[in-house]
Amino acid sequence: MSAPRAVGREVERVDGVEKVTGAARYTADLKFPRLLHVAVVRSPHPHARVLGVRTERAARAAGVRAVASGRDFPLHTGIYLKDQTVFATDRVRFVGDPVAAVAAETPEEAAAGAALVEVDYEPLRPIFDVEEGIADGAPLVHPDLGRYEVVPWIQPKAGTNVCNHLKIRKGDYEGALRRSSRVFENVFRVPQVQHVPLEPHVSVARVDLAGKVEVHTSAQSPFTVRHLLCACFGLSHGDVRVHVPYVGGGFGGKAGINLEPIAVALAKRCPGRWVRVMVDRHEEFFATVVRQGLTATLVTGVDRHGKVQAQKMHYLWNCGAYGGYGVNIVRAAGYTCGGAYEFPNVWGDSIGVYTNRPVGSAYRGFGMQEIHWALEQQMDFVACELGIDPVEFRLLNALGAGKATVTGQVLDEDAGRVDLCIRKVAAEVGMDPARQRRPYSGKGIACAVKAPAMPNDAASSVVMKFAEDATLEVLISGIDYGQGLMTVAAQFAAEALDVPVETVRVRGCPDTDLSPYDWQTVASRQTWATGNAILRAAEEIRRQLLATAAEALGVPPGELALARGTVAHAASGRSIPLARLVMGYQFPDGHAIGGPVSASASYLPEGLLFLDPETSQSAKPVAKWTFGAQAVEVSVDRETGQVTVEKVSACYDVGHVINPGLIRGQTYGGIVQGLGTGTMEELIVDTTTGRAVNASLMDYKIPSFEDVPAVLTAEFVETPQRDGPMGARGIGEHTMIPTPAAIANALFDACGVRIHDLPITAEKVWRALREKERGERERAGAAGVPAAAPAASGAIA
Amino acid sequence: MPSDLDYRSPSTVDHALALMSEAPGGAFLLGGTDLLPQMRTGRRAPSVLVDLKRIAELREIRETADGGLSIGAAVPLADVETHPLVRARYALLAECVSTVGAWPLRQRATLAGNICNASPAADTAVALLAFDAVVGAVSSEGRRTLPMSRFFTGPGRTALRPGELVTDVVLPATSRGFAGSYLRLSRRKGMDLATVGVLVGRSDGELPPRYRIALAAVAPTPIRAVAAEELLEARGPKAAAEAAELAMDACAPITDLRGSAEYRREMVGVLVRRGVAMLERKARP
Ligand SMILES: Cc1cc2nc3c(=O)[nH]c(=O)nc-3n(C[C@H](O)[C@H](O)[C@H](O)COP(=O)(O)OP(=O)(O)OC[C@H]3O[C@@H](n4cnc5c(N)ncnc54)[C@H](O)[C@@H]3O)c2cc1C
Repeated sequence: MSAPRAVGREVERVDGVEKVTGAARYTADLKFPRLLHVAVVRSPHPHARVLGVRTERAARAAGVRAVASGRDFPLHTGIYLKDQTVFATDRVRFVGDPVAAVAAETPEEAAAGAALVEVDYEPLRPIFDVEEGIADGAPLVHPDLGRYEVVPWIQPKAGTNVCNHLKIRKGDYEGALRRSSRVFENVFRVPQVQHVPLEPHVSVARVDLAGKVEVHTSAQSPFTVRHLLCACFGLSHGDVRVHVPYVGGGFGGKAGINLEPIAVALAKRCPGRWVRVMVDRHEEFFATVVRQGLTATLVTGVDRHGKVQAQKMHYLWNCGAYGGYGVNIVRAAGYTCGGAYEFPNVWGDSIGVYTNRPVGSAYRGFGMQEIHWALEQQMDFVACELGIDPVEFRLLNALGAGKATVTGQVLDEDAGRVDLCIRKVAAEVGMDPARQRRPYSGKGIACAVKAPAMPNDAASSVVMKFAEDATLEVLISGIDYGQGLMTVAAQFAAEALDVPVETVRVRGCPDTDLSPYDWQTVASRQTWATGNAILRAAEEIRRQLLATAAEALGVPPGELALARGTVAHAASGRSIPLARLVMGYQFPDGHAIGGPVSASASYLPEGLLFLDPETSQSAKPVAKWTFGAQAVEVSVDRETGQVTVEKVSACYDVGHVINPGLIRGQTYGGIVQGLGTGTMEELIVDTTTGRAVNASLMDYKIPSFEDVPAVLTAEFVETPQRDGPMGARGIGEHTMIPTPAAIANALFDACGVRIHDLPITAEKVWRALREKERGERERAGAAGVPAAAPAASGAIA
Repeated sequence: MPSDLDYRSPSTVDHALALMSEAPGGAFLLGGTDLLPQMRTGRRAPSVLVDLKRIAELREIRETADGGLSIGAAVPLADVETHPLVRARYALLAECVSTVGAWPLRQRATLAGNICNASPAADTAVALLAFDAVVGAVSSEGRRTLPMSRFFTGPGRTALRPGELVTDVVLPATSRGFAGSYLRLSRRKGMDLATVGVLVGRSDGELPPRYRIALAAVAPTPIRAVAAEELLEARGPKAAAEAAELAMDACAPITDLRGSAEYRREMVGVLVRRGVAMLERKARP
């Protein structure tokens, strides 16, 4: 009788009780003695020269303890491209750009102090659109772009607004286009949207009297926060300590560095005092970070059999005012521009453009939902124009083992099966081409693919050790902000050492002084990277336990088995419980051997190669791909344009399901987030003032429970990933990637209109339907046939 | 919000009026679900909040002598929508109330607050307009009543005098037993303000029946489409399409974040036709 396996079982969340009871502490819950509160002075202009900042009056105001502003902190930071200072120095680049900050004894005194900071601006012409941004003679958002420090694999263009340009040149696009039997071109657009985490950004910092910096922050990446803080203040990593308690949602918005530099800048001005910077919901919308906007132009050339031969993708990314992080989204979108398809001849350009909008940054999917919005509608469009079933058309062009991606990487057998995912979701929603159709009801499908977008050497490490009673402690520095990492980590550890999962404690709120290094919790990489590190550490733990037990029992280690919390010698029937081994073993005569058992291990993906700078060809540009598909059923109200998403079915090839409950939760959550960006979300910036006009939850809507589709299903294919932990690969972001495009395709199926610009609002659908019906009447009239009577009179005039 | 804000919670109407006359920059507070967000965003900055929720007289729902129903200003919307007499006699009001925000919000928000805030999108106002409700008000000059038809004077503006306090809203006996529906479009299904709201009601068991059409979020104030009502009273449900046109003519929507003026106007037409069709469906067994 063996204990239930830990992996593959619906183990309860290890942080569940803490979170449900309120025992879990988040950054804003932490109590600090004599905490100072902060008000940030933000630019009211989208683009202006800063002529002067006077802080003297603010510094003298009641309760004010510190004031910090631009020129005192000249060093730049940014994860890939160092294009941002703590406060604007000579130029502000968006409405909300921090210019100065005031720390005071109360929030009211901080606000009153901030109001006394005087800033002289000389307004400059702002740009809001990417087309404007790349036009000749456009005002430059970063005139110093050429002087910024940048990682070698990002290519900013000095003297322009282009912060990165990635080119894909594969095969002979021009020739293939000429030989194509039909060619299709479409333009699709995605607006900026915000992450809307339940917990807005907050950071607390203190510089102690010895100069050591300590930070508590709501962040996805404590070590990257430390690294970037050191860059912008010229500090040694040895003197900065970052703590991340529980985090109430990130979705990419808390990747890299955010409010931490403002907190540290003020803390440096009042040593010994804790300083807390916190944004409210209004500021969260425009003053932290948002998802980048996209204008995508796609050209597809097909041969007589419906196989795509030529594919051109032109992506213009609206990066907003700073691109430190966003430049890598531009890159990832470039090398993934072919989606889940095999395109033999490709011409791709992914171009990041600075504008005077809120700062674009990582957002769950890292560019993938945006490019799939375009590509998956284009594939549907082409299929429908050719009269091929959209499911068949996808299968005909799908990637798979032995086929080459747009970078020329030939996929291995372990790459995952998008074809199976397509077939499963199509069957689940009943996409049989011969199906019975109901008017204004339709079904659509979209595929998804994503690789972890990260530096080639992004690593994770873990420490494993035991407490006296054989409680197994696993120290990780990945952040569990809801996706279930701590639970999955406990499952891997329990499985690898065959101990009950209840005896594992995952220490998941990292402290950079004490916790093992981890690059970031992003890129759907934690289960995979931390999982691998845990399995390696467990091997070392096992080795130590068996070595001590072997000596204790006087048998070779090879004859021992570690199972159910005991090391046993089958031949002699003797065994030792872990509690007598984990701190060292003591013989009856009193002498002891071994010692506290512990291990550390790391994981770094091996064999990754840079992209060619001119063509982006590379045999292994990324660690792995996760493929999947979603199919959607919608009904459309012809007269109001309201689209009801009745059912969404998802299927992903995840290699190995570690926890069925958690992966279902990830999938349903991703679908609902995709429904939000698909049907209602858009951060609207007024192009005269540069202000975000819907920066509140009254005006910016995300889905409520009532919007959740009546039926959600999730299935998984398990083609093991060769270098994945127990075969697993990432899934966190993928679940929201295809949803908007699948809804759009279902909408087309339902009523023959296509929405090219997200989100799919009722009013847009209503307009498109009205246009279509008008066109049909005109054509019918021109042909001398009496116009078909609309189904109900009056409304469509 | 200023931290030196004064907060008072009197237990009588007279005391409330006295407090307000001492501090002309003050504001009455009920659920605060309009007032507090407005203070947070700086749209309003009252010097004192006079909370009316402790005044017993304002917390009752009771029948009036002539068979009407008086809903006290401080009664939370949740109590209105679940009240047996409201449900039995003014079911359409309960339906409108149930569309305001979400259940937790309606534990605090009130009917009086909804109309005193005078949003063009006030969901309860359409039912109150349709039922010829009467607003009871009191000030230092004494008590008076205002018909709903003259209560709203513009977006965020009412016929109340400065310092005047709404005590209750009275639904007349003559408005009992209207059947119909409140059709409402919003950007998402739960917790969103109306982009367009259309109430279509018809008196039950009267020959000829009276019709009511009231509209939210398509004019500077919630309005009634009287010409459309009269047409339906004269010609019956077969005139639905023309009534819809008249309702569209009655509205004067603006373009905002929730929808364009054009879309709103067209939707008034769609929803009026649907509302009339639903009356027919409900009427036939
Ligand atoms: C999340 C959310 C969702 C919402 N959704 C909706 C919705 O779907 N539909 C909708 O119509 N509204 C909605 N609202 C607005 C609001 O909840 C309603 O208008 C509510 O009925 C207001 O009632 P209250 O008691 O909270 O008013 P309060 O905010 O207390 O008062 C409103 C106004 O009336 C004044 N006032 C209060 N009492 C009196 C009195 N006795 N005499 C004179 N003046 C007085 C106040 O000074 C204030 O100006 C929503 C609000 C929120 C926060």
